[in-house]
Amino acid sequence: MYGIVDCDNCYVSCERVFRPDLNGKPVVVLSNNDGCIVARSNEAKKLGVKAGMPYFKLEQEFPGQKIAVFSSNYELYGELTGRVVSIIRQEAPQYFRYSIDECFVYLDGMEQIDLKQWGEGLYKRIRKSVGVPVSIGLAPNKTLAKMASHFAKKYPGYRHCCLVDSDEKRKKALKLYPIGEIWGIGRRYAAKLEAQGVKTAWDFASWPRDRVVSTFHNVVILRTWAELNGEDRVPNEAMAKKQSICTSRSFNGMVKDLETLKIHVSNYAARCAEKLRRQNTVASIVGVFVNTNCFREDLPQYWKFEEATLPTASNSAVTLVKAASELLSKIYKPGYSYKKAGVIVMGISPDSPIQLNLFDINAERFEKLKSLDAVIDRINRLHGTETVILGAQQYPQRNAEGKAEVFANAIKHDFRSKNPTTRWSDIIKLK
Amino acid sequence: MTKIHILPSEFKQKLELQMAYAIKAGFPSPADDYQHDALDFNRDLIKHPEATFYGRVDGDSMVEAGINDGDIAVIDRSVDASDGDVVVAFVNNEFTIKYLDLSHKADGYIELKPANKKFHPIRIEDADNFEVWGVVVWTIHSWKR
Repeated sequence: MYGIVDCDNCYVSCERVFRPDLNGKPVVVLSNNDGCIVARSNEAKKLGVKAGMPYFKLEQEFPGQKIAVFSSNYELYGELTGRVVSIIRQEAPQYFRYSIDECFVYLDGMEQIDLKQWGEGLYKRIRKSVGVPVSIGLAPNKTLAKMASHFAKKYPGYRHCCLVDSDEKRKKALKLYPIGEIWGIGRRYAAKLEAQGVKTAWDFASWPRDRVVSTFHNVVILRTWAELNGEDRVPNEAMAKKQSICTSRSFNGMVKDLETLKIHVSNYAARCAEKLRRQNTVASIVGVFVNTNCFREDLPQYWKFEEATLPTASNSAVTLVKAASELLSKIYKPGYSYKKAGVIVMGISPDSPIQLNLFDINAERFEKLKSLDAVIDRINRLHGTETVILGAQQYPQRNAEGKAEVFANAIKHDFRSKNPTTRWSDIIKLK
Repeated sequence: MTKIHILPSEFKQKLELQMAYAIKAGFPSPADDYQHDALDFNRDLIKHPEATFYGRVDGDSMVEAGINDGDIAVIDRSVDASDGDVVVAFVNNEFTIKYLDLSHKADGYIELKPANKKFHPIRIEDADNFEVWGVVVWTIHSWKR
């Protein structure tokens, strides 16, 4: 049996942990740069607020409505969902974190246990300990588990856990499951199926295999079809450990000059290095991309990606920032208004033992960089991210107090909440 | 006079093996048999890390309970609050630290009691819809400012 544990309206639920006054009220969370709505509470959904709606339209379309608005605060969401995963780790024999708000569990060897009761207990423990509500779907494969979690979320009668463990239950659920909701079937394929009269998952599951093959010629769709019919086909490797890490941002406004771009890219590279160090890995390939705003058809367009292999796999901020800056200088073209840039690191492996390259045998420098990173990490953990940064990461603009802006503030976040679980300065006040 | 026992202690995030016995050459140390993990606040005092949050006491409503302005409260959300516990609750749009008094539950209300005569108890009439945010399991007071 498989299960999926899915945080309900994850970002909104995380914000509500420290704002219990917002329970039962409409709440939305905005994307990076406060661009558009990425998460909505059930109350906001009921009002008709759509996912992806640009923030500036909220006031126009819902005048006079009291809707609480938050900038996204990934530091908070990452910490709280990490707690959810740590509870799952204690309760399930095997688990795999699929995304920030979804975690698969493998329940082999738990045949003697009442799984429905187990799921309800897991919900209760997470809800009470962390304060975030989850929906749990349990079924013989991942696609059906996703479907079950949809029902657990939708109908309170399931008490947050829906178990699909018989053919009868499977068929009943498939008939109520809209084709567009199926995990693994994108919007494009869903539209194609709808055009052929397929409305529910059941309609699709009832197709003969040959028809699925001849209509789509697509192994992923065939796999999904087989899973809807109860087979276990989505391989676990398909969800294996992240093979690349990307840090990218849309700028607040446009950037034209290389110097400013370089500061942004240096920050992304430093962030990638930090992520690598946190999971005790190193990367051997660094890639950088830049692009202009494709929605501004009145402006000249440019998109470029370039990658380089490091002489020695690394997770050092100094090394990655240097490599990324060099790549940026290569792909940068003057005369364009850039909207976005990003750094991707690939070829990720465990950080020890590192294969030192014959032509890069400066072991002493390597050790020095390593202890420098360790010091930076320790200071930033204690005093807040970006207390210490590399010179290349420093923005020239000054804020109101005359201090140079840091990366976290270089993107717009007018409504960001505090970080009561990661910064001593932000812990809750008790009157 | 109060006796103070001094105990060896250690405060760190990760517990590491202190010694790899197997690869040691030569005569074994007679202390090996008495190896014991050092005391560790994170391990021994925080029973449920995923349910533990911290708060800073703001004001002196609990001063007679030995909880002072500026103290750090260690809050465990997974513990069920019992009558008489020091709890954190969200009332009137703020978090508050008080004693939980359930003795009037039969009369349809519960009270959050301060430990300072200058403050009044907070009466929660709608006890059914009231939720304790977490139970305070420790407070930390710094004696050296």
